[in-house]
Amino acid sequence: MKRFLIPPLFLLFSYFIISNDNAKVIVAGIAIFLIGMHFMENGFKLFSGGTLEKILAKFTSSTPKSIATGFVSTSIVQSSSLTSIVMISFLSAGLIGLTQAIGVIFGSNLGSTTTAWIVAYFGFKVKISVYAMPMIIFGVVFKFATDSRYKGVGYILLGLGFIFLGISYMKEGFDALKNSIDLASYAIDGYVGILIFVLIGAIATVVIQSSAATMAIIITALAGGQILYISALALAIGANIGTTVTAIIGASTSNEEGKRLAAAHLIFNFITAFIALLFIYQLSTFVDLLSEFIGIDPNSYILKLALFHTVFNILGILLVSPFIGIMVNFLNKLFIPKVKKSSKPKFLNDAVIQVPETAIHALRKEVINLYDKSLKAVIHAMNLHREDIFSNKKLKDIVHTSNRKINTNIDEIYKETLKSLYSEIIRFSSLSQKHMTHEERTTVGSLKTASRKIVKSVKEIKELQKNINHFSQGKNSDIKYEYNLLREQLAYTLREIETLRKDEINEIDRLTKMETIKIKIDEFDAATNEKIDDLIRTNKIDARMATSLINDASFASHICVRLVEIANIMWIDDKEFQKIGEDNEY
Amino acid sequence: MNIKKIVKKIDNYFDLSQKKQDEKKQKLLDILEKLMDKKLSIQKEIKKASSKKDKDELNLELKAIKNLIKKASIE
Repeated sequence: MKRFLIPPLFLLFSYFIISNDNAKVIVAGIAIFLIGMHFMENGFKLFSGGTLEKILAKFTSSTPKSIATGFVSTSIVQSSSLTSIVMISFLSAGLIGLTQAIGVIFGSNLGSTTTAWIVAYFGFKVKISVYAMPMIIFGVVFKFATDSRYKGVGYILLGLGFIFLGISYMKEGFDALKNSIDLASYAIDGYVGILIFVLIGAIATVVIQSSAATMAIIITALAGGQILYISALALAIGANIGTTVTAIIGASTSNEEGKRLAAAHLIFNFITAFIALLFIYQLSTFVDLLSEFIGIDPNSYILKLALFHTVFNILGILLVSPFIGIMVNFLNKLFIPKVKKSSKPKFLNDAVIQVPETAIHALRKEVINLYDKSLKAVIHAMNLHREDIFSNKKLKDIVHTSNRKINTNIDEIYKETLKSLYSEIIRFSSLSQKHMTHEERTTVGSLKTASRKIVKSVKEIKELQKNINHFSQGKNSDIKYEYNLLREQLAYTLREIETLRKDEINEIDRLTKMETIKIKIDEFDAATNEKIDDLIRTNKIDARMATSLINDASFASHICVRLVEIANIMWIDDKEFQKIGEDNEY
Repeated sequence: MNIKKIVKKIDNYFDLSQKKQDEKKQKLLDILEKLMDKKLSIQKEIKKASSKKDKDELNLELKAIKNLIKKASIE
C-alpha cells in the first residue's frame, strides 16, 4: 500500500511546489533548515569528544540535577534527539538508571524550547541571512580540516549558517504568501479550531521529523500574519506531541530500556499537551501577564509564542516530575526483557557509533556479554555448573563429584549465539574507530582482541571436551584423575577471575591477583608434564592416552592464560596497568 | 606547515611527544612505588604469619609482586 502511495504523493507534492513560487521558497527554507540541524548535530558529535557524555554521566545524581543537565545540554547542542540517543546508550550500558534518564529527557524537552527563542529573537530582530553566508563559507573551510575539533567547529558553523538561511527563506516565503493568500482567514473559532491546529502541528512534526523545524515554521508563519496567535499556540502544542513519534521510531529497534525511555517521553509530552490544551486560554493570559512583567512588547506575538512554549513545558515538568517513581515502576512492568536465548547484541547501538566514549563503553559491555555467554559454554563443556564453580565449595570436591556428561554442543552454541555476536562486535568496532583518536582506537583494538580470545577459548574447549567425556567414562582411574585436575585448573581460573571482576579492589591488587593466577597456571603446567612422564614410565597410561593428555594439558593451560589476558583487557581500566599485566600471545 | 610541525603532529597522534612520554614515565614510577610498598607490606605479613597455609599464600603473592616489579621496570 505504502509503495503505491508514495509516487502519487510525491508527484502531488512536486506539482504543489512547482506551481506555487511562495510554497517553493517556504519548502526550500524548511529543507535548508533541516540540513542545518543535521550538520549541527554531526558537529557536536565530533566537537564534544565525549564532553556531552561526561556531563550527562556526572550531573545526573538527582532528578532536579538530571532535569537541569538535560536542559543545559540540549540548549547548547540544540538537538534533543542527540541527548536522547546518548541517554538510550547510557541506559543500555547500565551507566545510569531509568529515573535519571527520564529526568534528562524532561529537561531536554525544555531545552528544545530555546530553539524557538533563537528563531523568534535573532530571526526577526537581526537580519540573520547576512551572517548565514560567512558562516557557511568558514564552515566549509573548517570542515576540510583533519583535526576532528576543527572539523566539528566547521560542521557547527555550517549548521548554524544553513539554519539561519532556512529561516530567512521561510520568512521570505510567508511574507510573499501574505500578499496572495490569507491563511488566517480560514481559522475556525473555539476548541474545534484549536484541535485542528494541534493535529496539523503534530502531523507536520511527524512528517518533518523535527519539532525545532516545525516551531521555526510556526514562528515565521505567525510573523508573516498567516496564522492567528491562538492557532500558533495550538500548533506548538501539536509539535510537542508529534516529536514523540521520532522517539518511538528510534526506540522500536532498541532494547527494553530504550522503549521505556521513549514511553516516558510519550507520556510526558501527552500529559503536558493535554494540560496546555485544556487551559490554553488561561495559559495565554498568563503568558500575556508574564510578558508584561519581563518586558516583552504586548504586540510581539512571536516572542510570546516562544514564552508560551517554554511555560507549558515547565508546567509539564512541575506536574509530572513528582510522579517519575510511579512512572518508572509502571514502565518496568510494561516492558519486561525477553529472557530467550538471543544472539543479538545487548549494548551495541548504531546511533552511538559516532560518539567515541559511549561507543567504547557499549563495546566493553558487549564484550563482557560475549564473555558471559561463552563462560556458560566453557563450564558446561567441562561437565560443571556455574553455580558450583562460583560457590564457596572446594573445587576438588566439585570436580570429583560432577562427572556426569552435560550435553553441550559447542559448535551449535558458537553458530547460533556467539558467532553473530562476535561479528557484530567486529562490525561495530570497525565503524566506530573511524571517529576516534589514536588512544581510543587502541582501546577498541584491545576489546577486539579480547573478543577474539574469548571465541578462540570456546573453540579450544571443544577439543578438550571430547577427551574429558571419553576418559571420564573410561576404566583407567589414573587418566581420569589427570583430566579432573585439568578441569580443576580451569575451574580455579574461572573462579579467581570472577572474584577479581566483582570485588571492589584497586588496580594493584587486581594486577597482583592476575599474576598469582598465572604463576599457579605455570606451576600446574610444570607439575602435569612431570606427572605425565611418570605415568608413562610406570605404564599407568598408554602412549595414546599420554599424547591426548599432553595436548589437552597444553589446551587447558592456553585457555587459562587467555582467560587472564581477557580479564586484563576487560577489568583493568588504566592503560599502563594493562600493559604491565600483558603477557605472551596465545 | 614545516617539517618540525608535521613531526610534532605525528608524535602527538601516536602519543610519542616528550610531554606524553614524561607523563607515562611518571605514571610507571608511581605504579612501581605502589608495588614496592605492597612488597614490603607482604614481607612484613609473612614474618607475622603463623600457619603454613597463610605463609604459602603470602609467598605466592610476593612472587607475583616481584614479577610485576620486574615487568614494570622493563616497561
